[in-house]
Amino acid sequence: MNKEAPLSIAERDFILNALREGVRLDGRQPDELRPLNVSFGDEYGHVKVQLGKTSLIVRISSEVTKPRDDRPFDGPFTIAMELTSMGSPAWSDGRQGDLEQYVTHVLDRVIRHSNALDTESLCILKGVSCWSIRADVHVIDYDGNLIDAACIAIMTGLQHFRRPDAVVKDGQVVVYGLDEREPVPLNITHKPLSITFQTFDEGKLVILDANRKEEQASEGDVVIGINNAGDVCFLSKFSGAPVDAIVFVSKSSVALEKVKEINGIIDKALQSDLAKRTEKGLAEESKAENDR
Amino acid sequence: MTTPLILLPSDNVPSDHLPSNTSAPLRLGPGLRLLSEQQSSTPSPGHVINASRAGLLSTDPKRNAVSILSFPNHRYIPTTNDLVIAQVHHSSAEYFHCMVTPQTPHALLAQLAFEGATKKTRPVLKQGDLVYARVLSIGVSAGAEVELTCVNPATGKAEQGGLGPLTGGMVFDVSTGLAARLTRASSSKAEYEDGVAGLVVLDELGTKLEGIGGFEIAVGRNGKVWVDCSNAGDSAIRATVAIGRCLHAVDESNLSPAEQRKLVSRTLREMEV
Repeated sequence: MNKEAPLSIAERDFILNALREGVRLDGRQPDELRPLNVSFGDEYGHVKVQLGKTSLIVRISSEVTKPRDDRPFDGPFTIAMELTSMGSPAWSDGRQGDLEQYVTHVLDRVIRHSNALDTESLCILKGVSCWSIRADVHVIDYDGNLIDAACIAIMTGLQHFRRPDAVVKDGQVVVYGLDEREPVPLNITHKPLSITFQTFDEGKLVILDANRKEEQASEGDVVIGINNAGDVCFLSKFSGAPVDAIVFVSKSSVALEKVKEINGIIDKALQSDLAKRTEKGLAEESKAENDR
Repeated sequence: MTTPLILLPSDNVPSDHLPSNTSAPLRLGPGLRLLSEQQSSTPSPGHVINASRAGLLSTDPKRNAVSILSFPNHRYIPTTNDLVIAQVHHSSAEYFHCMVTPQTPHALLAQLAFEGATKKTRPVLKQGDLVYARVLSIGVSAGAEVELTCVNPATGKAEQGGLGPLTGGMVFDVSTGLAARLTRASSSKAEYEDGVAGLVVLDELGTKLEGIGGFEIAVGRNGKVWVDCSNAGDSAIRATVAIGRCLHAVDESNLSPAEQRKLVSRTLREMEV
């Protein structure tokens, strides 16, 4: 089936009429995000993001591989996302739907192609070995706006992740374990995030962070990928009803504001997690007994 | 009242938890099966009643009924006589094919199963229309089709007001547990001070919204609540959204009657109804 159940006529009409009055189903303003919660697992790069009822887990992992022959200085960075039936009963395992293809494409553009992760810094020894970074996205619950939630989760994961330290000794690559040497954070060049707008009424009504029902009722979407400095790195209007050019201009500034807000939340979460970890690390170091 | 009893599938219901009224037949709710009836001369015959779902055992001595309260977030499984809100998917020569829950086979609703419907006067329902219907039968074997109806098949009349197509309004998705509580709260009259099953949210909304024309509500056991405030004129949409937000808030957090009243006033104030 691989398709969400369609909305009923009553729901579709009601959502549109309510938006014309400036009312959203959960009482939010058109430019208001749902509550965002970012939490971390025990290991580095294990992030759980909840945006309203949409929730997903991202795991960042690294391994040493051989770089591609045509790019001897670059380490590969891949984003793997699979929509399984765990996230929504409408998705079936193993078959790629339109939504999955679309979300993967946007994530690739916003995060990978904008060089948010400096892949050259992953090189250990030219043409011989480099770090390969992989981000696995697991959707736990789906209530609309998968793109933004996944973007937030991956960017947080990349900032949270620490890879083992590696050095080159006499032409040999030596990788130190996490307990031998302080692990190294990844080199993040900038922090782009995507902001998705849904348009209604031939582009006259534009809302941010739609939930599943609003997404289904909408006529088209506009995705803006932007970083804290205001550099737009991605802009898309793939399908649906036409949208005025002025919407792109005015919504870019809204997107910038939101990206700053979200990055603020992420930074706060990262700092408090880091503080917790160092506290725990110091407590463990100062213990008199050890495992032996 | 005895202590709550939690049953797992295949557990037997202990006979001392059954209502002791013998004048009326014992009614079994969904999730319970009668395995055998032992011959006995004692006034209360020993039924062996088996649970097929996990949940809390609940008895109603007045109606001589026993049923299982499943946990609130389980997926809806059609049971005969449940009222559901179905969405028409497509129609064929004799049936409307309706969705009761997404991603499950469609349920059938006969085109003549409406009050006063004949071949000429039957309602014309398009894809995406909503119907408030009763589950007529659920079939026996696996893969059997669920059949819905909007009339009592014996009399040909709508037995309970409101069955039939739903026009306008809005549907809110709630958990199946809340849908069951809402149904119970509306079926039994307000003889309890704190509402049935601790739910006062609808009563409170009813009194608060009476001034603007009240609202219509239909609760489907499949976790859908249809709300229409079209009498309210200009504030219809805001009132409907307010009702939906109250229902979601009650669903998500376990609110006491006093907190529910507070929630209703606060939400109505926020929505400026």
